[in-house]
Amino acid sequence: MVGPLEQAILALMIFVIMLGMGASLTPRDFVLALKRPYGLMIGVISQYGFMPLIGFLLAVSLPVPEPIKVGILIMACMPGGTTSNIFTYFSKGNLALSVLMTVTSTVFGVLLIPLVLVLYAGALDLDIPRENIIATLVLLLLPVAIGMVLRKLNANTGAVTEFMGSLLAVFFIVFLIVSWIPRNWGFLMETTWGTYFASIALGIVGITIGYLFARALRLHPRNARTVGLETGIQNGPLAIAIIAFTFAGTEAQSIMAVPVLYSLFIVIISTLVTLYFRRANTAAEQKMPDSLL
Amino acid sequence: MSLEDRPWTAFYGPSVRKEITSTHYRTIGDLIGAAAHLYGRKPAFTACLPNGMNGTLTFDQVDEMSDALAVYLREIAGLERGDRVALQMPNGLSFPIAAFAVFKAGCILVNVNPLYTSEEMAKQFEDAEPNALIIVDMFADKLPGAIKGHPIPNIIVTQVAEFLPAMPRGIVRLVQKYWDKTLHPIDLPHIRLPEALAAGRAKRAAQSIAVEEYRTDIAPDDTACLQYTGGTTGVSKAAMLSHANLIMNMEQTMEMISGVEKGKEVALTALPMYHIFAFTVNLLGFYSLGARSILIPNPRPLSNLKRAFENYKITWMSGVNTLFNGLTNEIWFQDTPPKHLKFASAGGMALQSSVAERWEEVTGKPVLEGYGLTESSPVLTFNPLGKTRANSIGIPVPSTLVRCLGEDGTPVGLGEPGELAAKGPQIMRGYWKKPDETAKTLRDGWLLTGDIATMDKDGYFRIVDRKKDMVLVSGFNVYPNEIEDCLARHPGVMEAAVIGVPDGASGEAVKAFVVPHDTALTEADIRAYCKQHLTNYKVPKTVEFRDDLPKSNVGKILRKDLRAEEIAKRDAA
Repeated sequence: MVGPLEQAILALMIFVIMLGMGASLTPRDFVLALKRPYGLMIGVISQYGFMPLIGFLLAVSLPVPEPIKVGILIMACMPGGTTSNIFTYFSKGNLALSVLMTVTSTVFGVLLIPLVLVLYAGALDLDIPRENIIATLVLLLLPVAIGMVLRKLNANTGAVTEFMGSLLAVFFIVFLIVSWIPRNWGFLMETTWGTYFASIALGIVGITIGYLFARALRLHPRNARTVGLETGIQNGPLAIAIIAFTFAGTEAQSIMAVPVLYSLFIVIISTLVTLYFRRANTAAEQKMPDSLL
Repeated sequence: MSLEDRPWTAFYGPSVRKEITSTHYRTIGDLIGAAAHLYGRKPAFTACLPNGMNGTLTFDQVDEMSDALAVYLREIAGLERGDRVALQMPNGLSFPIAAFAVFKAGCILVNVNPLYTSEEMAKQFEDAEPNALIIVDMFADKLPGAIKGHPIPNIIVTQVAEFLPAMPRGIVRLVQKYWDKTLHPIDLPHIRLPEALAAGRAKRAAQSIAVEEYRTDIAPDDTACLQYTGGTTGVSKAAMLSHANLIMNMEQTMEMISGVEKGKEVALTALPMYHIFAFTVNLLGFYSLGARSILIPNPRPLSNLKRAFENYKITWMSGVNTLFNGLTNEIWFQDTPPKHLKFASAGGMALQSSVAERWEEVTGKPVLEGYGLTESSPVLTFNPLGKTRANSIGIPVPSTLVRCLGEDGTPVGLGEPGELAAKGPQIMRGYWKKPDETAKTLRDGWLLTGDIATMDKDGYFRIVDRKKDMVLVSGFNVYPNEIEDCLARHPGVMEAAVIGVPDGASGEAVKAFVVPHDTALTEADIRAYCKQHLTNYKVPKTVEFRDDLPKSNVGKILRKDLRAEEIAKRDAA
C-alpha cells in the first residue's frame, strides 16, 4: 500500500503544512478555546459517542462479512486526524479548537478506543501502538508550536510560512486523491457496495451529525464547522497501523479495506464540505458598503 | 462672539489651549521634517495586509523618501510650485511618501477616490488639471478613459505591497496577478515609484538640492490640498484647504484628544486616507505625535482587520459608525477585543448611540464622536474624553465658533433647531474655480454646513437633520431622522426612509418608505405605531413598502433618489 519512503514524504509534507497552520495561530487562540471547554467537550462526545455508534449501526445493518464489520468499527473508534485541521483551516473554522480536539481525542484515545470497542465489539482485543499515537501527537504539535513561534518572532515569516503551508496543503489533498486511485485500482474493482457504502457514509454522517449536534447546542457556526469536520475525519493511518499490529495475513487485508477506502473518500468528502462551508461563511459575512466613507 | 459667549470652553481639559494663536509649523513640509527629527528611527507607518504580511517605514525613511520624490517631481517631472498632483491609492506605504512629497515640492495634492470609475476620474481630472498622477497599479486600467479630457503628462505607478520585504511583496504580486487577476498591463508611458525615488535621489545628490527651498516661498495660506466633496449631493467640487487650515485643524483636534503619549501610540488606520477625516487626524495628526500608524489597504471584509489587531498593540483608532458596528458584531473581535486600546474616535457620519454603547461594552473603552465637513479640514466639534454625551457631536474645538442660524440668518435660541454655521482657522479658502458655490457656502467667514442642529446651555451640539431633507408640513418643520428613528424601533421594520412629497392641502406631506421584516405589516400598522409616538403632523401620510432602499456606496440611504422617483412618478401621472 504505502511504502516507507512515501510514508516519510507524507510525514514531511504534513510537518510543513502544520507549520503553516501553526503560523496562523496565536497562543491567545488556544487560551480562548481552553477557557470555554464547552466546544471541546462537545467534540469529545461527538468523537467517541456518535462516531462509534454510527459505525456500529453501519456494521450491524450492512450485508458485509465479519472482517469488514470489524474494519468499520475500528475506523469509527479512531481519534481525529491531522487532515481535519487542514480542512478546518480552509473552512474558516476554529483551527485552535480543531488542534485541541485532535490532541484530546488522540490522548484520550488510548483509554477510550479499547473501552468503546469493548462496548460495541465485545471481545475484540486490540493492540494500540503507542508509538503511532506519540508520532501523531508530535507530528501535530511540534510544527504548530514552531509555526506559532515563527509568527511571534516575525509576522512576515509567519505569513509566508502560512502561505506556503496552505499551498502545500492544496497540493497534498490533490496528491492524496490522484495517487491513491491508480495504486488501489484492483482493490477498488473487487470491493462490494456494502464496503463502499460504509466507507463513504462514516465520513458524511459523522460530519453532518457532529455539525448539527454542535449547532443544536448553540455553538457558533465557526466552531460547529470545526466539530463537524473533526468528528467525521478520523485518523486513517492510525487505524491501518492498529490493524497491522493486531491481525495478520488475509484477515488483516480484509479488515483494512474500510480504513483504506475511508481514507480516500474522506478527502473527497471533506473537500466538498469545505467548499460548501466556505460559501456559507462568505454568505454569513457582514456586508460592508463599498467604501467606509 | 467673544470667548465668554462660548459656554463649551468650560468642558475643555485643564491643559487645552482655548485659543490657538500660532501653530507649531508653517507648512506641512515643515511638520514632516520636524517629526522625522524628533522620532527618527521609530516606526512611522506599517502596512498590514489581511494575511498579516507587512512592511514598515521609519520616520527617517519617510522623510528621506518623500524628499527624493519631491526632487523627482520638481526636477525631473518638471512640476512648478502650485501645480496639482493627483493621488489615487488605498492605504499603504506609498501614500504617506507620495502625499508628503507633494507638500514638500510645493505642489497641491488632489486626493482621488480609488474606487472611482473612469468617468468620475475624468471629471475630477478635468476640473483639477493635475500635471502628475501617482496611482496604484490595480486601478491603472481605468486610466485611458480617465485622461481623455485632461491628459496627465506624468504618471507614477505604485503597488499595494510597495516597500514590503521582497518575499511577501513577491507573493502578493503573484496572488494579485494569477489568482485575483487584478493586475493589467499598463500601456501608457509611466514610471514605477521606486524608480522615481531612485532618480530623485540621484538628482538630489548630483546637484546637492536643498528640498526645504521648494517651500521657503510658500505661505501658510497657500492651498495645500484640493479635497473633492459632494459626491452624494450632485455637483462635485473641490474645497481648497491651505497648509494653515490643515495644520490648525490637526492641532485643534489633538488638543481635544487627551491622554496621548508622544512617540508611543499605535494607531489603526482602517479608514481610507484619501478621505479628509483620516487624512487630517491619522496621516497628519498621529504622524506629528510620533505614533506608529497601522495602515489597512482594504477593511472589507472586516476579517481583513483581524491580523492587524492580533499582531499590533493598537492603542487608538478612528472609524465610522459602520466600522464600529461591524467590528462589535465580529466574533473574533468580541473574543479578543484590543486590550491596549485607550479610546476610539468616530466621524464621517452620525454615530448611533446603540453602536457607541455596544462598542464600550465590548472593548471597555469609549468611542468619541466628532463632527465636521471637508470644507472645515474637517473637524469642527468633538466630544471631550470623560465628558461625552450620547447623540451629541460634542463641543467646538479650540478657536472655533459654532452657532445655529434660523431662516433669517440670525442665531436661534438655546435648544432651537437652526442651520449649523462655523467660523475658525480650519475653514477652507473656498471652492476651486467655483466662486458661486463658494458664495453660497461661505458668508462673512461663516461656513454654512446645511445641517440642522441644536445647542444646549453647555454648548454641546446635536445634529437634527440635513437642511435640504427637512419637510415643511403646514408650516411645521419635520425632520426625517426623527420619523425614521421611530419607524426603525417598530419590530416589523427592517429599514425606513422618510421624505417630503408635494401635497395640496399641507404644502408638503410626510411619506415613508419601509422595508419590512415580515410581509404581514400594513400601512395602518405603521401609522398607528407612529401615532403612539409622534405628534400628528409628523405621522407619515403615506407608507410605501419596498424590498430595498437606494443607498450610496457608503451605505447612507439616498433620500434624494427617493424624491426623484416621486417627482418622476408625478410627472408621468
